[in-house]
Amino acid sequence: MQSSNVINYDYSVAKLFSYAAILFGIIGMGIGVFIAYQMAFPELNYLAGEYGTFSRLRPLHTSGVIFGFMLSGIFATWYYVGQRVLKVSVAESPFLMFIGKLHFWLYMVVMLVAVVSLFAGVSTSKEYAELEWPLDIGVVVVWVLWGVHMFGLIGIRREKTLYISVWYYIATFLGVAMLYLFNNMEVPTYFVAGMGKWYHSVSMYAGTNDALVQWWYGHNAVAFIFTVAIIAQIYYFLPKESGQPVYSYKLSLLSFWGLMFVYLWAGGHHLIYSTVPDWMQTMGSIFSIVLILPSWGSAINMLLTMKGEWGQLKENPLIKFMVLASTFYMFSTIEGPIQSIKSVNALAHFTDWIPGHVHDGTLGWVGFMTMAAMYHMAPRMFKRELYSKKLMESQFWIQTTGIVLYFSSMWIAGITQGMMWRATDQFGNLSYSFIDTVTVLIPYYVIRATGGLLYLIGFFIFTYNFYKTMTASKAIENEPQHASPMAA
Amino acid sequence: MDMETIRELQAYGYFFFTVFLVLILYGYVYHLYKSEKIGRRNYEKYADIALNDDITDAPVEKIEPIEEQKQKEEQ
Amino acid sequence: MFHWLEKNPFFFAVGVFVVIAYAGIVEILPDFAERARPVEGRKPYTVLQLAGRDVYIKDSCNACHSQLIRPFKSETDRYGMYSLSGEFAYDRPFLWGSKRTGPDLMRVGNYRTTDWHENHMLDPTSIVPGSIMPAYKHMFNNVADIETAYAEAYTVKKVFNVPYDQPDMPKLGTWDEAQKAVLEEAKPIVEAMKSQEVKEAYARGEIKEIVAIIAYLNSLK
Repeated sequence: MQSSNVINYDYSVAKLFSYAAILFGIIGMGIGVFIAYQMAFPELNYLAGEYGTFSRLRPLHTSGVIFGFMLSGIFATWYYVGQRVLKVSVAESPFLMFIGKLHFWLYMVVMLVAVVSLFAGVSTSKEYAELEWPLDIGVVVVWVLWGVHMFGLIGIRREKTLYISVWYYIATFLGVAMLYLFNNMEVPTYFVAGMGKWYHSVSMYAGTNDALVQWWYGHNAVAFIFTVAIIAQIYYFLPKESGQPVYSYKLSLLSFWGLMFVYLWAGGHHLIYSTVPDWMQTMGSIFSIVLILPSWGSAINMLLTMKGEWGQLKENPLIKFMVLASTFYMFSTIEGPIQSIKSVNALAHFTDWIPGHVHDGTLGWVGFMTMAAMYHMAPRMFKRELYSKKLMESQFWIQTTGIVLYFSSMWIAGITQGMMWRATDQFGNLSYSFIDTVTVLIPYYVIRATGGLLYLIGFFIFTYNFYKTMTASKAIENEPQHASPMAA
Repeated sequence: MDMETIRELQAYGYFFFTVFLVLILYGYVYHLYKSEKIGRRNYEKYADIALNDDITDAPVEKIEPIEEQKQKEEQ
Repeated sequence: MFHWLEKNPFFFAVGVFVVIAYAGIVEILPDFAERARPVEGRKPYTVLQLAGRDVYIKDSCNACHSQLIRPFKSETDRYGMYSLSGEFAYDRPFLWGSKRTGPDLMRVGNYRTTDWHENHMLDPTSIVPGSIMPAYKHMFNNVADIETAYAEAYTVKKVFNVPYDQPDMPKLGTWDEAQKAVLEEAKPIVEAMKSQEVKEAYARGEIKEIVAIIAYLNSLK
């Protein structure tokens, strides 16, 4: 163990991915706020010709925040947490160091090309899988590189047992790999016909089958990126920041297997009352309800980890971010199953309640957890204390207000529209033409966009705070053991 | 094979594999608590992996050199 | 056994994979044989319609418009007969969408005309006051990519045995034949339109995106 005295954890790749998360966070959320305002004020569609319409920008928003912001956050935390819980430094293996850097730069190249291609309207139309086949190959290579790094690091670890976070990272890797590959099975038309655009392709599946595969992917990409990988983070960062061991490690193991088994079945709830077989719709509905158990298993475990330590909530804004994240996780994992009940789904499907639900999870749970993780990593990566606690406090409240505005307005909008679509007069005729059900929503769209704007402002505060921590904050001698040091 | 047979096999396969997985899960619960009770292994101590994670901290369970090699081969 | 799994990342990963893949194997695979059968009388898209469908995808119309009518009276009253699985048999990819910011378009061809679409794409609010849909003026300038659409039709014919060139089915033929057929099919649409630019382009042998997408929308029945 002589040598390990001079070895330190190497955070260079974690830093790179943190910058990427901030960059894509600003781009993705910025576009999100913009297109939210477009729904209230359609004139905003005409600022950039064909490249500025809502329909072109929407895939950019979803891909930007999912594959830009969240995924960068996941990678950043892997390159940080992975080393620590396996007790091995990347610096010990030049090969893994190289793989890590290659992973980052290739990822950036793929993202850049993806942004350009989506602006140009090159799309397969499948939600969250819009990229055409050449980019899909790029994504697969990036993903494999991550896997090589992950299993490589596990291979040279000092800690025999894999910590629960590593379980979740492995599951993220495997789950997304499987889903992405199967959903993006497509035939490049150029290679068959010898003409047309070389990057164009046609899906291997048709109609209902295609829908089934797409929502098996769509729902579970959510599962494995928004949920599994974020649980990996909170199982490390909350105990570490608070100095409390996980309330019940056994429960964390059990809810892991529960989640793995149940989640994949729930995809069918996106297709209730569609033309997929009834038993699949029912299965999707039932398993969505069952899903509450393992989801709440993790969330309750997190909240109970803070048992007897609730005072920290007052002193440490980071704990506040993470506790609110777990609360929003509980909230959206109860909201989702409710929407999966057939009769509720009949009302809610196709309305604004669905994006409302998604944003509960993404803004409240994923966004807060990612930012908390980066706040926690910053003092360790840069050997400086966090720049400002006050800014963190105000960021917390601004963003929380933003989320509340967002989901409350979308609830009302969604239910209003759902009710108006089905309303009939005394003779059984439809009461409203479609446009009536749109104009009535404009005030809610304004509130929603403003909620989103508040969240974005909070993200700018976060960026500023992070930047100042990097450059202008007080240096610290030793790596902090638990609570992250921060200046008032 | 016609669709009927496939459906039937699917249903049986589904049923028995689910039962199998449920048994495994409960077996796992039993294993977790039993291990702790007879003092073979306390799972809760693995929570310390996150808390004591400096590179100079002693691992909660150190990896054996021979096994380390085996792990490498597996990758 | 369990503890062994926890320390052996490779077998652990295999275990995780089996558990997560299970749902897909049971739920998705067995239905592939059955679900792809078209309803009787359903025809694959013509090359022009496919080109229009590609425009629909390029501009992500599916971000705001569904193409799936659920079996409720309120929906069948509004949009027509509810969707059947076999009606989507030639849809690669499917375009059900997930959000109805605008109305469903599954059977829009039954109740909208070329003229309506032309005006609506130029200025939605002139047709539907209060509409929040953006105008798609660029579709009047961009030229539709007929070549890629032909390649797509050719590919699905070769690879997935989509019944082009069979009795009572759309003719695909060679590229030259297809080009003529496209111009032929576009003719009534262009004639029904007011835009001089589109007409002039057609005279030069160019099909604008707007013509293709209207051909596609009119085919949705």
